[in-house]
Amino acid sequence: MEIHAYEKFWLAAALLLIVGLIATVSYGAVGAGIEMIGDEGGTVDPEALDDHPKFGDPGVYESGEDEYDVYVVAEQFAFRPGTSDPIEVPANSTVTFHVTSADVIHGFEVVGTNANTMAIPGQVATFTVEVDGPRDYGILCNEYCGSAHHAMEGTMEVVPEDEYDGPEGGD
Amino acid sequence: MSIETTREHPERGDDPDDRPPGYVVGSGPDDVERELSHDEFDPIGTLGIILVYFVILAVMWAFMYFVEFLGRGITVVG
Amino acid sequence: MATFVDRYPEEAAVVRATFVVAFVSLGIGAFFGLIQALHRTGYVRILDSVDYYTILTGHGVLLALVFTIFFLLGLFTWAVARSLERPLPDIRLTWAWFGLTTTGATLVAVAILAGLIPSLGVSADVLYTFYAPLQAHPLFYAGLTMFIVGTWMAGADWFLAYRAWRADNPDDRIPLQTFMVLTTMLMWYLSTIGVAVSAVFFLLPWSFGIVETVNPLLTRTLFWFFGHPVVYFWLMPAYLLWYTVLPKLAGGRLFSDPLARVVFVLFLLLSTPVGIHHQYLDPGISEGFKFIAMTNTMFLLLPSLLTAFTVVASMEHGARQRGGEGYFKWLGALPWRDPAFTGMALAGLMFAAGGFSGMINAGMNINYLIHNTLWVPGHFHMTVGTAVALTMMAGSYWLVPQLTGKRLYSRPIGLLQVVLWFVGMVFMSNAMHRAGLAGVPRRTAEPQYQSFDFSTALGSVGELQAQIAFGGFLLFVSVVLFLFNILLSSFETPMESPVDDSLPAPLSGAEGSPLVLDDLRLWTGIAIVLVILAYTLPLGSIVTDAGLFGDSPGFPVLIDAVAMLKEVVA
Repeated sequence: MEIHAYEKFWLAAALLLIVGLIATVSYGAVGAGIEMIGDEGGTVDPEALDDHPKFGDPGVYESGEDEYDVYVVAEQFAFRPGTSDPIEVPANSTVTFHVTSADVIHGFEVVGTNANTMAIPGQVATFTVEVDGPRDYGILCNEYCGSAHHAMEGTMEVVPEDEYDGPEGGD
Repeated sequence: MSIETTREHPERGDDPDDRPPGYVVGSGPDDVERELSHDEFDPIGTLGIILVYFVILAVMWAFMYFVEFLGRGITVVG
Repeated sequence: MATFVDRYPEEAAVVRATFVVAFVSLGIGAFFGLIQALHRTGYVRILDSVDYYTILTGHGVLLALVFTIFFLLGLFTWAVARSLERPLPDIRLTWAWFGLTTTGATLVAVAILAGLIPSLGVSADVLYTFYAPLQAHPLFYAGLTMFIVGTWMAGADWFLAYRAWRADNPDDRIPLQTFMVLTTMLMWYLSTIGVAVSAVFFLLPWSFGIVETVNPLLTRTLFWFFGHPVVYFWLMPAYLLWYTVLPKLAGGRLFSDPLARVVFVLFLLLSTPVGIHHQYLDPGISEGFKFIAMTNTMFLLLPSLLTAFTVVASMEHGARQRGGEGYFKWLGALPWRDPAFTGMALAGLMFAAGGFSGMINAGMNINYLIHNTLWVPGHFHMTVGTAVALTMMAGSYWLVPQLTGKRLYSRPIGLLQVVLWFVGMVFMSNAMHRAGLAGVPRRTAEPQYQSFDFSTALGSVGELQAQIAFGGFLLFVSVVLFLFNILLSSFETPMESPVDDSLPAPLSGAEGSPLVLDDLRLWTGIAIVLVILAYTLPLGSIVTDAGLFGDSPGFPVLIDAVAMLKEVVA
């Protein structure tokens, strides 16, 4: 079995590339602190979301100083909140999203950002983002969810701290 | 190594009527001028091409990861 | 004897039949692709957007499953018979799997296309990933199951041929093409377990109403257990052609047979324990399992990177035998006028670019950037849509004459066709990648929203849409030219030698390479262990979360459409 010297060299370079790719992603996870959506969100009964303490009244909840929880229900073909009422959070805050689905699989994408997750019935996708200055963002469903999938959209408004009049969700 | 240095290559007709019987697509061996064995052949051009590819991959990966991805406004931290 | 059809007339008839199914699907699927390219960019909307998803399902299933896999069935039948130099053991078995796969594919196609006629009450607008709890008509899942079982029978047919050959040749190395077929099929048997379990135990009973609910994350995970290896099932026929035919077309010989075997073994080992990389953004699967899937996926780059070297080196060998000189000048000595060669070479070049976007897809956290955006179809139109599809079309210019004994109708049209495909795909997939970075989603009829606009770093959304529509149009024209050329070739008069079908021996042969490479039992065993390691814990935790049958009732796509129409009317 003859393996040409150049080929051995390329094998080494290819392995180096692969290790480099894994190292970059590991840096992103550890150094830049980017966590993946995992199983921390737990499960819910998709048939009984109305009885859920938070998904029963989805929206923005204050969880600490400059910290907010946003509960979002994705359903054919709207986000609650997001579609009829925008998701409103103050600038320069830490926002944790909890996203689930009331029916089929949906996607939840804050357009032009890295905030992006699947919404799977029975599962809660939880992820935290840092929002900076005031800006409006679009939200869309990026997984096919039925015949009006293309109409499933919403907005998120990051408002200046002094104009923010408190979270809308809960009582 | 050349068996012959110059060789006539009559243009094969592209019109179906002009084509000689037995016309073949991809008749590579027709144009082979010399035989090279494994030991006579160093794929130096391949090495060059593949190294250029390697550099493109590495640079574009770094750009996509550190500029396009980590440089985005809202990023997931937990 | 003259060519394949003269040596193995019965096998040639089966291969022709599989190619007919493949090419009919290609034609319909490409037409659907044109409709989509014009619809989602807003240029021409001949259908209601509700029907876009019927067309999209048809496009995905007919091209990604039917065209590619029927071509594979024919190509592998050809490769086994010619490399073992014997007919298949029982041609009735061969026709039986052809019948079963064709019936299954037809049922699936009927279930999908019936969606265009609401009065039939049948719909399968679930796209080719058929994620539950979106529910298709039972015909869709039943047809899919028949199709998969048919491919299993085809694999059995090739293994029986190998067993018969082995009895007569106890000490020979497995011929390279047969080795490629067998390792690919072993990977296929292992990976299709996922989709078979999903369809037979969960989706089919649920669509019939025998069980009430499904666990959506479980069926989705089982789909991707199969859904990534299927990518390599598409790709391995292209690799078989690149390794064993392309060097010959270039005027050279394969650089290394043993390395080709190493590459196929690596695909058998690593293709399946990676599927979770399609679920990086799924809740319910912990980050650790995602990291394991990523590591496996990154190492799966290795066989493709090795292939790049071996295939380019084989081409360089051909070019130098044809008188090519210099560091890069030899590229000019390649037979660029031959559509079979040029098509495969351009397909390989596009695959190199697709390899890059694939690395991004594989990178775990960078997935947030591009997940479910148009970047993803941009990627797989370079890989399955060009590396595979263009290689298959180009390979057909060399293969079909062997199956019919008739020469190709027109070489220049063939050349124009493969170049058009390449150019069309450069426009379309480049624009799709860029649109994906702007956040434009995949799988949507109208990526135009009321409450926001997309912003691009360079250029404009309008320019990207123009490129997608123009590229899609060129691709459709290319398919029309291909089908026209193949069709007219069937009216040529038979001749003694319609194509030069000899394949020269590799420069570095199998003899002398470790015998363990040919130990299929060993590699299969390791592959199974890797799958168990990668999937036991995630599947266990998904089942613990919501049970085997979950608590999601079905959402039939048909009722959706009706409700939607009412909403539109009201």
